[in-house]
Amino acid sequence: MSTAVSEILDEPKTPAVGRKRSDFVYYGLRNKKLVFGLGLELLLVLFAIIGPMLAKYGPQTLTGAQLHHPGGTYWLGTDSLGEDVYSQLANGIRESYLVGALGAVSAAVVGMTLGFTAGWRGGILDEVLQMVTNIIVMLPSLVLLVVIGSYLNSRSVLFEGVFIGLTTWPWVARAVRAQTFSLRSREFVEMAKLSGKRPLEIIVRDIAPNMASYLFLVVILLFGSSMLLAASYDFLGLGPSNTVSLGWMMNQATQNAALLYREWWWFVPPGAVLTAMVAALLVANVGLDEVFNPKLRQQ
Amino acid sequence: MSVSVQNLSVAYRSRRGDVTAVDNVSFALADGEIMGLAGESGSGKSTLGNALVYLDQRMKATGGTVTVDGRELPIADTRAMRPLRMTEVSLVPQYAMSALPPTRKIGKLMTDLLKSHRVGDQRAVMTELKRRLELIGLREDVLDKYSFELSGGMRQRVTIIMSTLLNPSLLIADEVTSALDVSTQRAVGEMLLEFRDRGFVKSVITITHDLAILAQIADSIAIMYAGRLAERASTDAIVNSPLHPYTQALIASLPEVGVRHDQVTLTGIPGRPPSLVSPPAGCRFRERCPFAFDKCTQTPPFVEIEPGHTVACWKASDERGAAAGRAGQEQAV
Repeated sequence: MSTAVSEILDEPKTPAVGRKRSDFVYYGLRNKKLVFGLGLELLLVLFAIIGPMLAKYGPQTLTGAQLHHPGGTYWLGTDSLGEDVYSQLANGIRESYLVGALGAVSAAVVGMTLGFTAGWRGGILDEVLQMVTNIIVMLPSLVLLVVIGSYLNSRSVLFEGVFIGLTTWPWVARAVRAQTFSLRSREFVEMAKLSGKRPLEIIVRDIAPNMASYLFLVVILLFGSSMLLAASYDFLGLGPSNTVSLGWMMNQATQNAALLYREWWWFVPPGAVLTAMVAALLVANVGLDEVFNPKLRQQ
Repeated sequence: MSVSVQNLSVAYRSRRGDVTAVDNVSFALADGEIMGLAGESGSGKSTLGNALVYLDQRMKATGGTVTVDGRELPIADTRAMRPLRMTEVSLVPQYAMSALPPTRKIGKLMTDLLKSHRVGDQRAVMTELKRRLELIGLREDVLDKYSFELSGGMRQRVTIIMSTLLNPSLLIADEVTSALDVSTQRAVGEMLLEFRDRGFVKSVITITHDLAILAQIADSIAIMYAGRLAERASTDAIVNSPLHPYTQALIASLPEVGVRHDQVTLTGIPGRPPSLVSPPAGCRFRERCPFAFDKCTQTPPFVEIEPGHTVACWKASDERGAAAGRAGQEQAV
């Protein structure tokens, strides 16, 4: 966008542009929470990409060695069926990220669409959308998942991600609606109407940028909570069929009484990695908040 | 006649029924004319100005037509009006100083506007924009700034530049000079003149309650009272020989140069304007008018009693009618 402006203006970029851009980078790089959180998260993402390629066995390949301790051949040991825990972990992380991203994106899309619509239009439409939002908030998603799941032959990762998205969007919708409500009566929005802009243009160009940092943070939070939700569904055995995930690993470990027999290599890695994935996101989120919000910045 | 407003009525929806804030207003503007629209708070001047560009959800047009350059504006249809805003009619709002979004740079704002109106040759418009910025003494680098980096006066001027960027036929400037210091007021007034002279806008309606600024820049003045036009004439006629008792009282209430007001008390107009929820029948100024007589219980017509001088007052039209009757007949022959 800004390149378009400077192209049209046909002038060299003034320092003002660079200064504004690097403002976030400047404070971002100096924020320890952000650097730590984002760094850890990036490492984990990298592992999710590379990890499965390094695995010597498939996640559900029977290696023949059952309940092997971690060591040279089986980096993180094997489970009671003789499946490689490392391979399961690496694939599980990938699965978690996938579900998290799916959940966050679908919740953000639905929540923002409904939030912006309700906030912008107001009136009856707003009442109706608010009612729908409140109903969705009150729905017990676990029960819903059991009911829907019983009608499906097999549950996919896509289904789980979208299901999580479609049950968590109300929080986004509510906040976006409230913000839109207060922004739409601001003078610059009136001016945008006076200048003949279409409603969609006004929402995208005049209203949304004013809550960009909030929207960004919300997506990150949704990402983390989607991964947690997915893990708990998987742990309860309601997750995708025929895939390996962190929650499923813990489910298997519990079912085979790994806790009782102190087979720690079976359940500690998935739990620890999941905690790290979500905690890193939350720490990065706090850091980002400080970077975006000048009042929280420490010089 | 580049702009013609015929019998325009605009009402606000309210729980107690429609409140007609602009009642049967007619006037016309020639090409290049700057008309001042004056009146006290609540007289409907801003409503009139807004109605020509954007009727919000609370407002509705209850009658009348608006023609700009021989083309009727669909003012009641907000969707059909969209492409005409800023290209045919444009409004500089009362809050011009805070009309720029805080999250977009001025230059981006301008290109947004061009995109919304699907302007083909953006480069040409942006070159023209830079020329205009220079013209009013703003540097090009304001385009790379956010609105909060500019002073109030600069923001006001940027808003005016933005409103006139697409060369509208009619510009409505709503209180653009209030909330500015006197020298900036003058600069903004001259900017409007300059824009008119250079043809950036064809005609201008400036809405204000500041008659002094109108005397400087307006070619003609319309006085509005309680939703209706009371008088419309050239600036000279309004200032020096007003006919409507309201205009007379308004002019008389202005302080005069050289008069020390520790001895002479400034007089206002006694009473208050009528409520528009249930306006009184007849002339709306009747209650406060020192000259009111029986006939004033009927609504006075808004008639041209001298060429270019239109008044809605029984007293003025009766007096002048008798005197000008002969002259009028001679002219007719």
